[in-house]
Amino acid sequence: MDISYWGLFFSLLLLAFPLFIFWHLKLKLTKQLLISFGRMIAQLALIGIWLQILLDKNNIWLTLGWLLIMITNAVIILRNRMKSHKRILAPIFFIALAAASLIVMPWVLFVVIRPNPLFSADVVIPIYGMVLGNTMNSCALAMERFEGKLSDNWKAYYTLISLGASDWEAALPAFRQAMHISLLPRLLSIAAMGIVSLPGMMSGQILGGASALVAIKYQVMIMAAIFSSVTIADYLAIRLYLKWRFDQFYLPKEER
Amino acid sequence: MSELLKIRIDRLYYGERNLVENIDLTVNKGDKILLAGTTGSGKTSLLNSLNLMNQSYEGEIIFDGRAITGCPPQFLRSRILMVMQEPWLGEGIVEDILAEPFCFAAVRKRGMKKDDKMILELFDLFKLPQEHLKKKAEQLSGGEKQRIALIRALIMKPEILLLDEISSALDQGTSRIVADYLLKSYPGTIIAISHDPLWQAHWQIQWHIKDGIIHIIQGGE
Repeated sequence: MDISYWGLFFSLLLLAFPLFIFWHLKLKLTKQLLISFGRMIAQLALIGIWLQILLDKNNIWLTLGWLLIMITNAVIILRNRMKSHKRILAPIFFIALAAASLIVMPWVLFVVIRPNPLFSADVVIPIYGMVLGNTMNSCALAMERFEGKLSDNWKAYYTLISLGASDWEAALPAFRQAMHISLLPRLLSIAAMGIVSLPGMMSGQILGGASALVAIKYQVMIMAAIFSSVTIADYLAIRLYLKWRFDQFYLPKEER
Repeated sequence: MSELLKIRIDRLYYGERNLVENIDLTVNKGDKILLAGTTGSGKTSLLNSLNLMNQSYEGEIIFDGRAITGCPPQFLRSRILMVMQEPWLGEGIVEDILAEPFCFAAVRKRGMKKDDKMILELFDLFKLPQEHLKKKAEQLSGGEKQRIALIRALIMKPEILLLDEISSALDQGTSRIVADYLLKSYPGTIIAISHDPLWQAHWQIQWHIKDGIIHIIQGGE
């Protein structure tokens, strides 16, 4: 069922409630709310036009080019989110996201869904958007936590290397904690799916007219793809960063 | 006595500042050496240089006939082992903390195995109740942590033990017991930093850093 433009306008009127609460609490979020929603509408409108062109053309090279732009944007966003070591993090994030994508996406497309034609833009782009968006956020969180755990307790790292641990062995506790912090909330939200929350993809498909059974199948598939991609990218990003973070004597490299 | 370590350093520095110049020292097997000097004189920098924890020097350190910079750091550090002033023990119980280094690949490759008998003997010797083996590190006092960190190092049977102010949280009586064991009973080689007068009086060799020069003083027990 389509939404009319008036309907869309009325949906935005719901924002009157948060705006009233912001005003009541003198919460300085009004400007940010207007900017955020303004940007979202403009970006979605532009991307909607562009996606329509991509879907109509359904050209493999055009689609691949767009996927490359998506991943490059994800890397730039990730790089800007990091507080330190930005120069080295850009290639690390690129490798981690690209490797996770190259493992998960061909499997989803060529083994699970098998659309006809195999590389149809209307399947590849929305699925990759969900996988990449989730992977990007998780990668940022995992990396922040890893660096945070190391920096908060250098004494632990130095003690372990002075007892004969390699950099890998000494950084492993921080690595484990970062992965745990990044993955546990996802597993909990997966466990709550269906009872507590109806996920976006499934809701969207049902609203778009698909049967509940098809929507459930897609949801299970996308959650498996996202969780796999997130875990691979987190692991690779931290592993590569760890390799760079310490010199040949396992001492931390200076900030540069 | 067989030569274990040769230290030939033209310049030891921290940032822009020269700490010690023209170091030419030899450590023989079984030596008990006290590294003394005022705060900021370069004692810790020198000690850290011996197990690759510091590279701010010009020169060469030879261990077992080989430049230490050419040795894999994890193997070198399991043989030249450092105990720090404020030890970090970990989050588990003491028993697991003592076992942890034996899981490291470099320690396993040396064929080292945890010696439970030695642990109990050292616990008795250093006046630590054996019930502490089941306690968590955060339940221990500063002095108990220092002794457990020392035991963790001793049971790894390093060829050289580097000690950085390990008696700072110990009372006089315990400090004497630890010093007596290290100097009289412990068969290995020790290079230690200490400001404790009790420790300073009893070492075989003293490397005293003064005005950027190391003076070697023989004596003590």
